[in-house]
Amino acid sequence: MSELPKEALELDQKIIDFIRKGVDQQDPEGFNRLALEVFALQFKSIPLYRRYCEKRGIEPERISSWEEVPALPTDVFKVMELSMFPSQTVRTFMTSGTTKPEERGKVGYDEGGLRLMDATIEEAASSFLFPDGTKTKILIIAPSPEMAPHMIMAYGMNRLKDYFGLPQSRFLVGREGFEVETLLKELRFSEEEGVPVTLCGGSFGFVNFFDYCREKGLKFKLPSSSRTLDAGGFKGRSREVKREEFIKECGEILGIEKEYSVNLLGMTEISSQFYDSTLRNFHKGLHLSGAKINPPWTKTLVVDPETLKPLPLGETGLLKHFDLANRGHILAIQTDDLGRMTGEGFEVFGRSKEGEARGCSLTIDEMTHIEKGK
Amino acid sequence: MMENFELEAYHVPPELRDQVKISRTMVYEDESTRILLKIPSIDRTLIQSLPHHLKKKRSYLAHLPIEKIVHVLDEASRRWLDKNYPLRKLALKTIPLITGFSPEVVEASIDVEMESSLREDMWRTLSLEIGNPLYLDDFQYSPQLGGYSRAFGPELIVSIFSENIPALPHLLFMRSALVKSACLGKVARGEPTFAPLYLKTIEEIDPEMAKCMAVLYWQGGEEEIEASLFEQASAVVLFGGVEACRSLMEKIPRRIRTLVHGHRLGFGVIGRQRMNRQGLERLAEAVALDCSMFDQQACLAPHVYYLEEGGEVSPKEFCQAVAVAMKALNERMPRGRISPGEASAIHQLRAAYEFRELNGEDVLVLASSPKTDWTVVYEKDPGIFSPSPLNRFIRIFGVEDIFQVPPALKPIGPFLQNAAVAIGDDREKEFIRILGGLGVARITSPGKMSVPSMMWHHDGISPLASLLRWCDMEKKDEF
Repeated sequence: MSELPKEALELDQKIIDFIRKGVDQQDPEGFNRLALEVFALQFKSIPLYRRYCEKRGIEPERISSWEEVPALPTDVFKVMELSMFPSQTVRTFMTSGTTKPEERGKVGYDEGGLRLMDATIEEAASSFLFPDGTKTKILIIAPSPEMAPHMIMAYGMNRLKDYFGLPQSRFLVGREGFEVETLLKELRFSEEEGVPVTLCGGSFGFVNFFDYCREKGLKFKLPSSSRTLDAGGFKGRSREVKREEFIKECGEILGIEKEYSVNLLGMTEISSQFYDSTLRNFHKGLHLSGAKINPPWTKTLVVDPETLKPLPLGETGLLKHFDLANRGHILAIQTDDLGRMTGEGFEVFGRSKEGEARGCSLTIDEMTHIEKGK
Repeated sequence: MMENFELEAYHVPPELRDQVKISRTMVYEDESTRILLKIPSIDRTLIQSLPHHLKKKRSYLAHLPIEKIVHVLDEASRRWLDKNYPLRKLALKTIPLITGFSPEVVEASIDVEMESSLREDMWRTLSLEIGNPLYLDDFQYSPQLGGYSRAFGPELIVSIFSENIPALPHLLFMRSALVKSACLGKVARGEPTFAPLYLKTIEEIDPEMAKCMAVLYWQGGEEEIEASLFEQASAVVLFGGVEACRSLMEKIPRRIRTLVHGHRLGFGVIGRQRMNRQGLERLAEAVALDCSMFDQQACLAPHVYYLEEGGEVSPKEFCQAVAVAMKALNERMPRGRISPGEASAIHQLRAAYEFRELNGEDVLVLASSPKTDWTVVYEKDPGIFSPSPLNRFIRIFGVEDIFQVPPALKPIGPFLQNAAVAIGDDREKEFIRILGGLGVARITSPGKMSVPSMMWHHDGISPLASLLRWCDMEKKDEF
């Protein structure tokens, strides 16, 4: 495999330098400059995206702000390969939610793209998940990257384990499924030895584990500084749980202090991660209500669902993310998540469903159930 | 100047009005209109007394000759068709704000529904389904039986409406009255106002008849209310989604006759013979109308139109004409307000098609911009049926041969409802036979999908005959 083109490598280095300045840097001009550079390279290198932009009258020379960069709706990844250098793809991540491979979004990463993602994972986690610098044993309720090579969460959590975990950190979903006995042993061990734990994984995995513990009458009092990191929502794979209840369960079943339950918004289409500010605020003694935070190498806009134009602060709409670490595919991503900006960051209310069926016509959701044979 | 309206999400006979307490008032507001919608609080007393009262008052209806009943219902439809009728005016001022449909769509749906709910429509259906409508009044001589027969409707029909198509719930009240049944309907949260207004009309025309009809609203899933009403019903008619109907069915005692109108879907097929330049504009307008009526939310509406290749006009050219018609129609009868999720689904799917088009695939996207008002997408038939995100988003599939269509429809046979078919050559009959066999409930022409005859075999069921119980009497000498 040949090397990435020099201009991509140079741009990656500039982005990594930017990321490495950490989450507290204030350099909006720097972001804008890099965003426009990323856009220019993507415009040049991805013919389909270039045509998409040209149809909208947008070219790199004609815009001066990152906000003008055309966003790619996430569903496009279901029908198109949109990597900058497809022949250089070393890793492909896929979206979940459907068993049909042809309906899953696919995002290819080249070596440089993975390096960018690694940098974001390390910088963001050190500020939002480990602001206190505590080393913990990281226990992951998710399959390892070897088992789930296309799952971006598996990749990310593996990086967390390598960067921040004590030596015995491990994955807990194996070929036979969730290794609940191992997790119970690990948690008891942690209680006895006083080794703090970071339990992380899909939100639904936690809820199913909580339900299991309740049924068996199990409770833990994990050492102080233990924490949880959950991501990904419930997707019908456990009961739906409100955030407050989730945090309460972490307290009651695991003995985790409420500030130590951290949620993360991650997406296959976006290399960076959006963490809750809860633990970081607590550590810094800030009394803020908490929100998802854009690390400085990302931006988020809330747009009108009808026109896709930006909405005023505080109004609810669809989230549109810009991520410098997306150099290898598309900088700007239009999601179908509903959310709104707050003073501190943004809130996400989850995927905008079609809503309740209003008429009497069969909906796409119903069709999906029928196809599944329900 | 703000116009204020007060509406009720219920209607009960006058004797029971004192018993209805208001639990809360919902407020709908825009720049010029404010609607206060009173939501009833439904307690155990009402749940017992209302069905009992409706059944008691049914004796009037039970003894009313069918001719009189048809007369009252016909008069109600005529009033609603009168542009100066105060309740129609009220509905046109309020339903758009509550449902999100544009006033033009609401007006068109009232007209469509009421124009097909006139005297002749009722007589036609009664004879289609029952043969001799007088069987509903008394024992009539049946030459086939060689004796006398009489048809009895259920004492009380309980119905759950769960869709927001304006002017649709009145159908059930009409059908109930025609089989001389009392009727209690639960309106949908999305459109709770038309049915109470319709009962006011019946009350204006024949107050006694109106006394065996009622409309209530409660939050779906209220176990106690639903179970108790089903327990007191003689028949239940459900309208709603697959899941909602299934969960309601579990609460209905087995002895009670139940008709289910679950969510369904429609499609259209145009053969190469009809793909000609001469009729292009008119046919494209017809297709656009099918996709735009009720903003495509009725089960009557098409998700996909299949166009056959090899005609004078190619499917892609046809799409251009449909887009022109969709645009014109949206100016005349604008698409209503939709939820963020619905809008997002349209943008996402449009983009997926647009990229395939940019990629050189045989795909075409024609759409309103920047808003989601209407969308026409073309692709070669992928061989599987793909539903539309609705709200005026039509998928057009090009097929080499119309007979390639039925295999793709087979897996969704039980959910097929309406098909618009225009083949125009000697294959049409055979094609229609195949569609009938697959599960299609109604076959019509493009442009007519949203206007079934009022008394069609709704979802393939005989809506009146299915509610009836017959008594045959073979002792003709005594009669």
